[in-house]
Amino acid sequence: MVKKLLYLCFSGMLIFMSSGLKAQSDTGFGKYHTNREIQQLLKGFSSGNAKLHTIAESPGGEPITVLEIGANLSDVPAIFVGANFEGDAPLASEGALFLAKMLLDSTAYTKDVKWYIMPQPNPDAAAVYFSALKTGQTTNQFKINNDGDEAIGEDGPDDLNGDGLITQMRIKSIEGSYIVSDSDARLMKKADKQKGERGTYKVLTEGIDNDKDGKYNEDAVGGINVGIGFPHLFPYENKDAGLFAGQTPEVYGILRFIYDRPEIAMVYTLGNSNFCLVPPKGGRKGDANLDRIKIPRRYASMLNADASKTYTMDEAKELFKTVVPEGTEVTTSLVASYLSLGPALNPLEDDLVFYKKYAEDYKKYLKGKDFSTETLDPTPAKDGSFELWAYYHLGVPSFSMRLFSVPKVKEAESDESADSKEKEKKAAPAKKDESGDKEKALLAYSESELDGAGFVAWTKVDHPDFDEVEVGGFAPYIETTPKAEKIESLAATQLPWLLHLSTELPDFAIADKKVTDMGGGIYKLELYVANNGALPYPISMGQRNGQPAPVIVTLEGDMELLEGKLRTPVGAIGANQVKKYTWLLKANKNKSITAGIESAVFTDVVEQIKIGG
Amino acid sequence: MIRKIFSLLAIFSLAATVFAGTEPKIEVPLRFDRYYDYDDVVKALEVLHEAYPDLTKLESIGESEEGLKIYALTINNKKTGAEHDKPGVWVDGNIHGNEIQAGEVCLYYAYMLLTKYGTNEQVTKAVDSNVHYIIPVVNVDGRNHFFKDAHTPSSSRSIRVPKDDDGDGLFDEDAPDDLDGDGSICQMRIKDPNGNYKADPEDPRIMVRVKPGEKGEYTILGSEGIDNDGDGKFNEDAEGYLDPNRNWGFHWQPPYVQRGAGNFPFSGVGIKAVDAFAAKHPNIIVNFSFHNSGGMWLRVPADNTTILPASDITAYDVIGKEAIKITPGYVYMSSFDLYPTFGDSDGQMFFVHGSYTFVGELFMREEQQTYKEKSDKPAAGGNTSRAERDREQMKFNDNVVQGELYKDWHPYNHPVYGEIEIGGWVKMSSRLPHPFMLPDLVHRNASVVLLAANETPKVEMEVFEVKDLDNNLKRIRVRLENKNGLSTMTAQAVNDKLYTIDHLKVTGAKVIAGGKINDYRLDQVSYKEHKPEVQFFAIPGHSSAEYEFIVQGKGEVKLEYISQKAGNTSTSVTL
Repeated sequence: MVKKLLYLCFSGMLIFMSSGLKAQSDTGFGKYHTNREIQQLLKGFSSGNAKLHTIAESPGGEPITVLEIGANLSDVPAIFVGANFEGDAPLASEGALFLAKMLLDSTAYTKDVKWYIMPQPNPDAAAVYFSALKTGQTTNQFKINNDGDEAIGEDGPDDLNGDGLITQMRIKSIEGSYIVSDSDARLMKKADKQKGERGTYKVLTEGIDNDKDGKYNEDAVGGINVGIGFPHLFPYENKDAGLFAGQTPEVYGILRFIYDRPEIAMVYTLGNSNFCLVPPKGGRKGDANLDRIKIPRRYASMLNADASKTYTMDEAKELFKTVVPEGTEVTTSLVASYLSLGPALNPLEDDLVFYKKYAEDYKKYLKGKDFSTETLDPTPAKDGSFELWAYYHLGVPSFSMRLFSVPKVKEAESDESADSKEKEKKAAPAKKDESGDKEKALLAYSESELDGAGFVAWTKVDHPDFDEVEVGGFAPYIETTPKAEKIESLAATQLPWLLHLSTELPDFAIADKKVTDMGGGIYKLELYVANNGALPYPISMGQRNGQPAPVIVTLEGDMELLEGKLRTPVGAIGANQVKKYTWLLKANKNKSITAGIESAVFTDVVEQIKIGG
Repeated sequence: MIRKIFSLLAIFSLAATVFAGTEPKIEVPLRFDRYYDYDDVVKALEVLHEAYPDLTKLESIGESEEGLKIYALTINNKKTGAEHDKPGVWVDGNIHGNEIQAGEVCLYYAYMLLTKYGTNEQVTKAVDSNVHYIIPVVNVDGRNHFFKDAHTPSSSRSIRVPKDDDGDGLFDEDAPDDLDGDGSICQMRIKDPNGNYKADPEDPRIMVRVKPGEKGEYTILGSEGIDNDGDGKFNEDAEGYLDPNRNWGFHWQPPYVQRGAGNFPFSGVGIKAVDAFAAKHPNIIVNFSFHNSGGMWLRVPADNTTILPASDITAYDVIGKEAIKITPGYVYMSSFDLYPTFGDSDGQMFFVHGSYTFVGELFMREEQQTYKEKSDKPAAGGNTSRAERDREQMKFNDNVVQGELYKDWHPYNHPVYGEIEIGGWVKMSSRLPHPFMLPDLVHRNASVVLLAANETPKVEMEVFEVKDLDNNLKRIRVRLENKNGLSTMTAQAVNDKLYTIDHLKVTGAKVIAGGKINDYRLDQVSYKEHKPEVQFFAIPGHSSAEYEFIVQGKGEVKLEYISQKAGNTSTSVTL
């Protein structure tokens, strides 16, 4: 026995050592890396121009780290890249590592942009992919009592068929609401009462009622899903989000790290949504209508407004101008905040313009690479997600990318005739069988690519509470995680697009200048400030939330200003746009003054201007 | 910027020095006819702790942005039980740095509990059956600066996190300036035949707007200051602004939705530490957060997205409806009815920590600083004109507090405007009662907290029937009663399954069936299908619940009611 234990320890060490060595010698992307291996890789990456920051510790005791590439650069804009926030997409973590490797291997994209790369913000959940029992879990080890009873984490799923995967149970039951799908006996579907169908199965997650309270798997170990723990549209009704945004230390650490770095001008997310291909979705109800603003009664008398009327934003601004102290600039964000108009819920129209344009460009790019986009739709960004927060709260371009989606089933394979299909479309437009289509695509993919391993065939198991129980269904991670041998080509094909987008950032310059002698030592100075980038600054959402740091035109020197200011905010400036600024100043001939463009985000510009020379 | 709207509508300021004089020694008994600065508050807590070491624990629960310690004084009689076995009562104040009398209320509450313990029955009961967590100053930096620097009655409210209020890329670079060096930020006026203000003919210190077409005498230039950053605006980027009571986690909204929210929930490190302290004490069942001013007792919710369970409103009413009589003139309402806020401490304490939370808005200037004969006519306010009220306040200043609240206009040579005048209400006016009124304010408000402490849940349990059934079965019936006004657990927390729901647990025998008795005379019982030996339920204030268990076995059967906030109660029967 002792001998056996020793042997086990020894072999375990060997495995550990060899995997360590492997990780160091080869950043090969032929495998998915564990938390430990990811941290080792990041440590290996961090030297010279790359610095590793530890920004938080997960409830499970794992470090949250960010690799800064371009640590030697200062006064440059930065891009933040986060991956795998829900912990169920190990491919996204690999993508972040791959991107880091590309940036370290070539200096092409790190000359005047700094990168912050965070491959593993939810290590507790991510670890489950590598554990003996794979659940597809997205929650961390934060202690949450989901069922309000005496114990925490006491009734999670159980591997009844011993295959190391948590799938589903179908239970023969008179109270069931599911039946076996007639199109494929492996699939279950809800019985449709209107068609006279009557349920014969209950479908539950695989497990027993560990705490014997009559509920199954209602209080698993953990936790909070880092991927829905951010403050935009924080899902209070979902226990997996925690009780408030930033409750779990990973999220809080990320929020603080990013706000401490105002130079972050763009955010990328690798995960399950894909803003590169499908712009953030709109259509959410309850958005403030800035053209029909109601003034609450309690403010109406102060503003000399009519509480029963509606006002446009411009009209509301006029009302405010009469009551604010002289010199106070009345902005949209001031009015919106004072009147509690609420958060923006839908992407702003001007921003959708660039999202749509880049989506078209990206499709062309992928076509050029012969990369099929005939796949299942990416998951829309979730409420409380990082990528939505980056757009709505930071007010910067937020691009997400999903590196893998299961291919769609080709229509030709359908055994229905085109004619009957057409009829069906007319009878029940869209949606109806969407989930069925998805399941069929997953089955087809499981068979063609995974030798059927993506679906566990229904097999009878013994269950303490039920007579006839079968376990089976789709394996966890099937939708997000292709075979490891695919990692490299998926990453190498798609990630360069994110490098390309980094060249689209705003870029400020003094495009032209003109000094006119007005006589008597008085000069007119005209400066043309240009945004030479392909993106506006700030984007429309950034104008709404006022969060991006201002760009300021500065003047310095021995002079007296008759008109204009020493520091002039540029305000919003479009892509490839030029704005003109004028000053009237008094100075001695042949004096030189310094003009500049200053911001906490972009590289500062300084120019000497000779007066009267 | 918005706060300027308020400061325009509201009043103005002057000198701290008026109340200073020679610093009295801080010792027990504490004095409540003066205001304590931050260091004094710390000293006062220390002397209380030294005088009552067995009943108190003094600890720093975290540090502020500027590195000052935030102190909590815990009052608990260990002889009557461990801290977390008793319902916790939380009192904090001064989360807004300028709202200093809130700190005095907290100090007084501690002082009252400790000095009257053993002599006053109600106080003794509260000290023996509750644990009291007292944080007199949450915004320590704000209070510290309010005393040390020149301010208006409304400034130094923020957390000390710099913010670029005017969007020029510089942070906090253009605050008001104390031009005349008197310790207050007052108002500036300039003689101006085209101005839209004139002196009130009855009291020339008061500025009144001219009527249309009427000739003016003055222009009001705004708060005392210069254009520090040369942008053509005065005092437009002072400290912060990050409102410490908009930075909490629950229902937080970003700054573009609600000004002063801070960049993300708990971006203020001191506020985060205070929340962590609350989380460490899951026994807290009632909270008071003191602010100024206006005379209000506010309960949750603070925004219109939540509807409170009716039984929670009933529990709130037990305290709220008495509070308005203890503090005459105050009103009791939901925080939302005042105006909607997001991310404030009361939402966090109620929805995250499961505690009944009140915000106390201390002091009503217009009702309490009066200068008039007693009248049988209905209270004024509606009929009194603004000018009349201003004159009354001025008379109060002159004849009741000997001119300590108002600084008369005096000439000043301003670097930009030239000859101007500075004057107005001083820093320690307006939102603060004059120190002579402070003892009444602190006592009345502390009495509300004490009343609430004495309403924290107290559960009694009695087995009222043990009956033999066939087959060696016995039927046990038990009655649980909450003798006080607050529920053992908020209904909201039960709905949200916020933490382990209060429960009655039977051990020592096999429980075959068990459930809630709906009517014991008619034998109406709702049996619980699974695990009948554990019954989950809260007991609302002043109510009782009856449960039945059909058990099999011999010997002692223990029945225990376990409540995170109300403590544990148990009884047993021998079969």
